[in-house]
Amino acid sequence: MARVKLEHVTKRYEDVTAVDDMNLDIRDGEFVCLVGPSGCGKSTTMETIAGLTLPTEGEVYIGDREVTRLPPKDRGIAMVFQNIALFPHMNVKDNISFGLRLRKYDSEEIDRRVQRASDIVQLEGMLERMPDEMSGGQRQRVAIARAIVRNPDVFLMDEPLANLDAKLRVHMRTELQRLHKELETTIIYVTHDQAEAMTMSDRIAVIDSGELQQIDPPLVCYNEPANLFVAGFIGSPSMNFTPGRVTDGGFTSESYDIEFDPASLGLSPGDSVTLGVRPEDVYPAEQRASVSDPSMTIEARTDVIEPMGDEIFVYVVTTDEMEMDFEAAEAGQLLMSVSPDSTIDVDQDIEVVLDRSKVHLFDDETGQAICHGLSPNAQTGTTTETETEAGDDD
Amino acid sequence: MRNPIALLRRRWSDSDDVRTDGGTVDSGQSFWNRDSVRSAPFWLPPFLLVGLFVYGAILWNIVLSLTDFQGLGSPDYSNLDFENYLAALADPIDGLLSVLPFVNGGAVEARSPSWAQLSVEPIWNSAWNTVVLMVGFTVVCLALGLALAILVDHKIRYENTFRTIYLLPMSLSFVVTAKFWLYMYNVETGLINVVITSLGFGAVEIVQNPDLKLPAVAFALVWQFSGYAMIVYLAGLRAIPTSHFEAARIDGASTLRMYRRVVLPQLRTATVSALVVLTVFALKAFDFLFSMYSGYQPGPSADILATRMVREAYANQNWAYGSTIAVVLFVMALFIVTPYIYSQYQRGEL
Repeated sequence: MARVKLEHVTKRYEDVTAVDDMNLDIRDGEFVCLVGPSGCGKSTTMETIAGLTLPTEGEVYIGDREVTRLPPKDRGIAMVFQNIALFPHMNVKDNISFGLRLRKYDSEEIDRRVQRASDIVQLEGMLERMPDEMSGGQRQRVAIARAIVRNPDVFLMDEPLANLDAKLRVHMRTELQRLHKELETTIIYVTHDQAEAMTMSDRIAVIDSGELQQIDPPLVCYNEPANLFVAGFIGSPSMNFTPGRVTDGGFTSESYDIEFDPASLGLSPGDSVTLGVRPEDVYPAEQRASVSDPSMTIEARTDVIEPMGDEIFVYVVTTDEMEMDFEAAEAGQLLMSVSPDSTIDVDQDIEVVLDRSKVHLFDDETGQAICHGLSPNAQTGTTTETETEAGDDD
Repeated sequence: MRNPIALLRRRWSDSDDVRTDGGTVDSGQSFWNRDSVRSAPFWLPPFLLVGLFVYGAILWNIVLSLTDFQGLGSPDYSNLDFENYLAALADPIDGLLSVLPFVNGGAVEARSPSWAQLSVEPIWNSAWNTVVLMVGFTVVCLALGLALAILVDHKIRYENTFRTIYLLPMSLSFVVTAKFWLYMYNVETGLINVVITSLGFGAVEIVQNPDLKLPAVAFALVWQFSGYAMIVYLAGLRAIPTSHFEAARIDGASTLRMYRRVVLPQLRTATVSALVVLTVFALKAFDFLFSMYSGYQPGPSADILATRMVREAYANQNWAYGSTIAVVLFVMALFIVTPYIYSQYQRGEL
């Protein structure tokens, strides 16, 4: 068990910077997910922690030791790989005990540890099997047992569930959480699947283009994303973004306006900002009463409907799409999540409201969040005609 | 007028009128409709050609080896026996003894009287040379190929260039390699002797030196085929996921141990396939020796079964005895290839 710290870690390949000035402080016993799109540098970050790659600059600490130049075997880590990486010519027991045998443990100790590790991941009666006689899930358990058996200070897991089918993945997710509770070891887990990150981790480290975007508990990343990237990456389906400008009375865009006091947020009229709102914070206007801080009514038209069973996703177009090019039409589109008993149909005129207390504003220049939720103002509850073209639709 | 295309079509296409007539099928119809019959134009010609010219020739050769066919004329098939085999394998003790002086560097001494009266000599000498060449060449070639593959696999610069350079000799014919190494081994102008004399030692006769003949042949063959072994091993190495190397390193394996315990066991298939190909090449290294020694007279210290076979048949006109040696070579090749094919069959790859 140990704390893991990265200080100003940078990894440059010939002309690519894979990791750029990464600072991470992972607490003892914490389960942290490194999450980001493919090629964002999350795997390279993990490799520098494992010692499989040496950072170009910066230091890595595990526990109280600086391990930047230490070989992987001396770092007290164990790793689980995406392609599982069991040695195909060894049976389960030999695979699990490989590291122990290299370290010349006596055979009694090896047997005891292998037994314990295989009990934890429920591999009873499979120790003599060869890897190619096992299913994907069983093999992944062997790989985890191989990591457990050495009592590492830190577990590194590089997309360990990516090669499993969807159902098994969900199952293994809960098993990993159970394992973490049982072992209380620090776990660093790389994934590109934000759902995995949300469900399992104590904190999520969102990485993009080699830079750390935000490291916070899952719900903080969800509710208070630090910037546009995190807002768009965390949450499925992702947040609606509407580019626009600040006016004297609030926010205006091609499609709708939202009123607030710009001065209170340190904004001045003319600043270009992007407004973000999650699908579940967009409501049909008739539910206005149940919205904590409804915005002005936005006139729109329903486009595509995706029934998911427990909810329905409705794409509504807030601009007159006939006059718009594709990009603008996309910007004027809002995704709304409504209850499954709703009778909304396609190509239907509809009025929607946003929950002002759940609206996010982002600075267009830096991408940084300006605020999460607008403060209630005097106009709350009044219906103001918007200046959109949508009103002229029919 | 009968339309031949329509006739063929009717005959070769699945008949549409499937009848359930209690299991009795019109036999004429079903014969022409069988898959094997309908696909005959595709498999029958190669089947006949290979059958006649490969398997037929092998069988005929076996029959020939049982005759006493010698000199001009045609073979007499009335009196078939194993006399040639007995002669070929006669007196293993004496045969092996005849090998010994040459192993010690001498020429073959006078024959022992027990088989002196035979018209042919036993084949122990050339059989022994064949085995030595086969084992020596194959083992060195595999070891060198593995070493090269491991080096090239280290993501070195100019990897493709090195790979091409190592593989290039493989594309040469045996004749070119032999002539090339004749130059290299030349006593006065050969590169090897130039280096040796420039270091202050006396020039060494290589090609005609009974002690060095076989090693010289093996060396040239290694030069030609180690690139092939490298490519086979390189493919094997590339098939091992990077994470296996990483997992081994994290588990604490040193480089040597990682290769011995994780990598080498996974190269077994590569080793076996390279081994089979190289051994078979060594068995049929005839054209190499033929070119190097301008004929099939490499002398006893480099005489292998293949040169012996051709010499018996074409120089001595002992046709039947040449066939006998051919059968011995054939059986040796079978011994090498059969286990490989069988293991492939068991793994379901055939």
